[in-house]
Amino acid sequence: MLLEVRDLKKRFSGVRALDGVDLQVEAGTVHALVGENGAGKSTLIKALSGLVTPNSGTISVDGVTRPISSVREAEALGFRFIHQELSLVPFFNAIENGFVGRPYPLKGPFIDQAAMRAQVVRAAELIAPDLPLDVPTSRLTTGQKQLVEITRALMTQGARLVVMDEPSASLSDAEAARLHKAIRALADQGVAVIFISHRLDEVLSICDQYTVLRNGQTTGTGQIAGTTRDDLIRLMTGHESAALARTAPQVVGKPVLQVEAVPFGPEGETISLEIGEGEILGLYGLVGAGRSSFMKQIWGARRHAGGRIRLDGKDMRAGQILARIAAGGAYVPEDRRGEGLITQRSIAENLAIANLRSMRKVPGLPLVDDRRVTENAEAVRSQLAVKMSNATAKPLTLSGGNQQKLLFGRWFGRPIRLMILDEPTRGVDVGAKAEIHELARKMAATGAAVLMTTSDMDELLALSSRVLVMAGGRITAELTGEEIAPERIVAAAFAHTERKETTGS
Amino acid sequence: MSNLFGKYGTLLALVAIIVAFAIASPGAFGTPGNLINITQQMTLLAIVSVGVTLVMAAGEFDLATAAFVSFGGIFVMVLFAAGVPSPIAFVIVLVVAGCFGAISGFIVARFEVLSFIATLAAGTIVGGITFYMCDGATLFGGIPTGFRDIARGWTIGLPTLTWWLVGVSILVWILLDKIEFGRRLYAIGGNRDAARLAGVRVVPNMVTAFAISAMLSALVGMLLTARIGSANPTGGSGYLLNAYAGVFLGMTAFRDGEANVLGTLVGAAIIAVISNGLTILGVSTFLQDIITGSIILAAVLVRRIGKEA
Repeated sequence: MLLEVRDLKKRFSGVRALDGVDLQVEAGTVHALVGENGAGKSTLIKALSGLVTPNSGTISVDGVTRPISSVREAEALGFRFIHQELSLVPFFNAIENGFVGRPYPLKGPFIDQAAMRAQVVRAAELIAPDLPLDVPTSRLTTGQKQLVEITRALMTQGARLVVMDEPSASLSDAEAARLHKAIRALADQGVAVIFISHRLDEVLSICDQYTVLRNGQTTGTGQIAGTTRDDLIRLMTGHESAALARTAPQVVGKPVLQVEAVPFGPEGETISLEIGEGEILGLYGLVGAGRSSFMKQIWGARRHAGGRIRLDGKDMRAGQILARIAAGGAYVPEDRRGEGLITQRSIAENLAIANLRSMRKVPGLPLVDDRRVTENAEAVRSQLAVKMSNATAKPLTLSGGNQQKLLFGRWFGRPIRLMILDEPTRGVDVGAKAEIHELARKMAATGAAVLMTTSDMDELLALSSRVLVMAGGRITAELTGEEIAPERIVAAAFAHTERKETTGS
Repeated sequence: MSNLFGKYGTLLALVAIIVAFAIASPGAFGTPGNLINITQQMTLLAIVSVGVTLVMAAGEFDLATAAFVSFGGIFVMVLFAAGVPSPIAFVIVLVVAGCFGAISGFIVARFEVLSFIATLAAGTIVGGITFYMCDGATLFGGIPTGFRDIARGWTIGLPTLTWWLVGVSILVWILLDKIEFGRRLYAIGGNRDAARLAGVRVVPNMVTAFAISAMLSALVGMLLTARIGSANPTGGSGYLLNAYAGVFLGMTAFRDGEANVLGTLVGAAIIAVISNGLTILGVSTFLQDIITGSIILAAVLVRRIGKEA
């Protein structure tokens, strides 16, 4: 056995990211690692690459236990990693990229260009002899860049295990087929491949074995031959009931948000949807499906967009955030620190920024009344039970849950018609999560339409009165009431159109 | 206590420097007359710094300031030569400079060009226009007496020039700290994406900040011309680095790394006091530059190290 992971555990500030993971990978095979977001896949990969030190458990290579405490040690063991975010220098070509961070072959004091080329060509021929080597990688397609990364991984001597984290997530069908061929070629060289993918059809067609993770534990492992898609889904979702309260509002009044043919996804597909008063619509789709950029488009953060967006019947033009705010729109971004909080300014000011006009000293004059800014902060604090020492403190002194409450509180003090929530409880503890859910329900109860996207299945189940599942750039399921069940949601999320295997190219 | 020191450390440094010079040269430096004189000496540079503070609050740089100082001085002379009365010439210069500033602000905000590069280019263009207007020569003569008085003599107990600094500082302080515009500008400077998503309109706010910064620089150019009675197309060249030195020193005072008017005034005062004190002590100007540069580095380093500790 090339790699054997036994009972690996890792805790991050109380949260069990890995809670007993087993994994066995043989040389010359392609091993699928599947699981939902947050199941522990990335933590496991980080443990293999030396970025994370496990609390307990063992990693053995060729039957010998090997604690991996640094990236260099992982490299020495022959482990190579290809991350989802590619790390190529865009204006370097494939040959130049092959040597970034590695010793260059020298001829005297000068770099030996011919030797560089020879090394890269040798590696590229193993998987993709037709890869353009002399073009800056910025001009290559995403699929070709993946191949450059794989070439890079194979260049150094002793590559024994290549880990690919969702390499096909943003590839076209033809490119994915090309990648699959390269992966097969790798395995034929005797290299082991750990293949992480959300596309179950892909997993079923190119992998030899699988391991399924759920909540930081291995829930199943075996041969792909004789395994069905449903088997995998069952292992991924389990049968536990959701721990959070499931009281989704069911009253649906007249339509508040109407979205027609708004572009979504990488290939120019469009989506139409409608949300009524009092309704919480949950959008589900796996990470990388383009949900966040869709939400931003609804919010008007994109200048050029297609389709039609109406709020209470009024047309909302692209790029016009203020028009949406005036019509009762509110938006809570996914990236709290990057797009939500203004970290250098006080909590009070973070809460006031969207609503400065209502905090004037004298109506008609733009003079800010600091007393009102403080009062507003106090009001939000008591309404949302924000735990903060005082309103002049900086927002990052608060816990994640309380920071998130600030982003909700920013929109208080005016009637809310539409609330857009992008991952409303990411990185928030369970208690604050329940409070935020209650808040979303209250918004809906006052007649607001809520558009939510989340990759947290429990959250989706707890809040949504209706669920739209998106996969491959289109809506693959619309579920209401009793239909909202994890198995159906996940099945729809993995329902990609059949891939056409293109030969040659 | 350490918090208090962090907040007022730069102010304490200013006081310490003043006390040190007063002890070293009680007869000359420490006199009320000289202290008032310092406020007059620092005015021109400080106004440019205060203008830059606006742009820095929005998290951007304006490297065109020096060019606008030269431009203001030359352009007003050109208008005088054309027979334009001084109040009208004064307003025209401010409006034209404001328009140029607005254009660079628009390019920076709308197309998200690095302000460092955009304003460097804008400054080069404005500098070229300035040289073109005067054919590269120093302009003198033909200045209405009334215009010269805006930068000479005393008014209500203070040098007239000092009043300009007081007025501009109060104006920008209101803009930044008292009205909505300032809150929005700081929000943009703090986190442009977050501000935009919260409904702050980045483009108009940024355009305004750059326009005001350009106008204040052009104002300094005119005050300079009024004071010395002539205009040189490179007259503003000393107003870039020192103006930023004042703002950076100011960012270490009062607020945590944020450009603010009070801090900028303290920063500008430190630079002015050092220059005045060293001159009185007979230190050569070359040595003065070395000392001023070292003090700025030391202030920023102390701040930085204090943070890491």
